Amino acid sequence: MKIIVRSLVIALALTGAIATTCANASSAKATVSVAKTSAMPAPVCPPNDPNGCGIFDGN
Amino acid sequence: MRYSQLVQGDLRVTSMPFFTLLGYLEIGLCIAALCAIVAKKQWKDYWSLGSFLAVRAASSTALASIMRFGRPLGASVAYNLYFYIYWISFAVESILALIVVYSIFRLAMAPLKGLQQLGMLVFRWAAAISVIVALGSAVSPHMTGVKYLMAAVSQVERTQNILTLCLLVFVCFAIRPMGLNYGSRIFGISLGLGIMSTANLLQWAGTSFDTMYSIYDVIDGVVICLVLATWTAYFALPEPKRRLIVLPTTSPFLRWNQISQVLGDNPGFVAIGGVPPELFAPAEIEVMQRASLKMATPFPRSMSA
Repeated sequence: MKIIVRSLVIALALTGAIATTCANASSAKATVSVAKTSAMPAPVCPPNDPNGCGIFDGN
Repeated sequence: MRYSQLVQGDLRVTSMPFFTLLGYLEIGLCIAALCAIVAKKQWKDYWSLGSFLAVRAASSTALASIMRFGRPLGASVAYNLYFYIYWISFAVESILALIVVYSIFRLAMAPLKGLQQLGMLVFRWAAAISVIVALGSAVSPHMTGVKYLMAAVSQVERTQNILTLCLLVFVCFAIRPMGLNYGSRIFGISLGLGIMSTANLLQWAGTSFDTMYSIYDVIDGVVICLVLATWTAYFALPEPKRRLIVLPTTSPFLRWNQISQVLGDNPGFVAIGGVPPELFAPAEIEVMQRASLKMATPFPRSMSA
C-alpha cells in the first residue's frame, strides 16, 4: 500500500514537473494558454467574439 | 465526429450531453462535499476548502445557467457574461486554493509546533514571491487588458499547482512522523489537490484552442469529478484517529522542532535610562523608594528596625 501510494505521488509530481517544462517551452508564443480547473468549458476566445465562441454549440 | 476534429482535440455534437452532465455532476459533488464538511463539523479546520467548494459551486451554477438559459441574450452577450464570471471566479479560486494548501500544511504539522511555525513562515514567503513572479511573467509584448488578466490568473493558478504538488510529496513522505495515515482527511485532500494540479499542468502544456469544447476539457472534467467524489468520501467516512507520535530523542524532527520553537520569541526589554517618573504607578514608586532605602542602610539595622 505504502509503495503504491508513494509511486503514485512520485508519478504525479514528475508528470507535473515535465508538464511545467513543456509549458515553459510553449509559452514563448504570443497566445494565452488556459489551464482549466472546472468541468465547465473554459472561455478561450476574447470577449465580444461575434460568434460567442460557440457557447451554444453544446445545447 | 470527423477524424480531423478528433485529431485537433475538437469535440462536437455527440459528446455534448456528456459535457453538460459533467458540469451538473461537478455542481452536485461540490455541494455534497460542502454538506459533508458542515455535517461532520469540520468547517473550523477546513473553512478554506469549504469556501473553495462554495465558490466553485456558485460559479459553475451561474455558468451552467448561462449555457442553458442564456440563448435569448444572444451568443455575444451571453459569452461576455460567461467570460467574466469564469475568470473572476477562476482568480478567486486560485487564491483560495493557495490558502487551502497553506491550511493543510498547518493542520498536518500541528503536533510539531516549532516546525509548523517555521514551515508556515517559509510557505508565506515562497507563496508571495511566486505570486509576484507569476504576475510579472504574465507581461509580454502585445498583451494588454483582458489578455494580461487571463495570463496573470493562469500563472497564479500554475504557481499554486506547483506548490500543491510540493505539499503532496511532503505529506506523503512525512505522513508517519506526523501521526497520519492514508485514511486521514489531510492526506485525502492533498492527494485530490495533487491530482487536480497534475491535470491542470498537463492541460497547460497542451495547445490553446479556438473552441470551448475539446477532448482535454472532457478528460479534465472527469478528473475533477473524481477528485470531488474522493473528497466527499473522505469527509463522509469517519476519520481514523491520529496516532501517538513517538520520536527517538536523536530524531532530527524533534531537534529542529525544539530549535524552531524558540526562534522568533519576543525578547524581554530593560529600560536603562530616560525613564520619566510619571510612567510608574504610585505603588511602584513606593516599592522602589523602600528598596532604595533598604539598600542604603546596613542590613542588620534594617532587620532590627
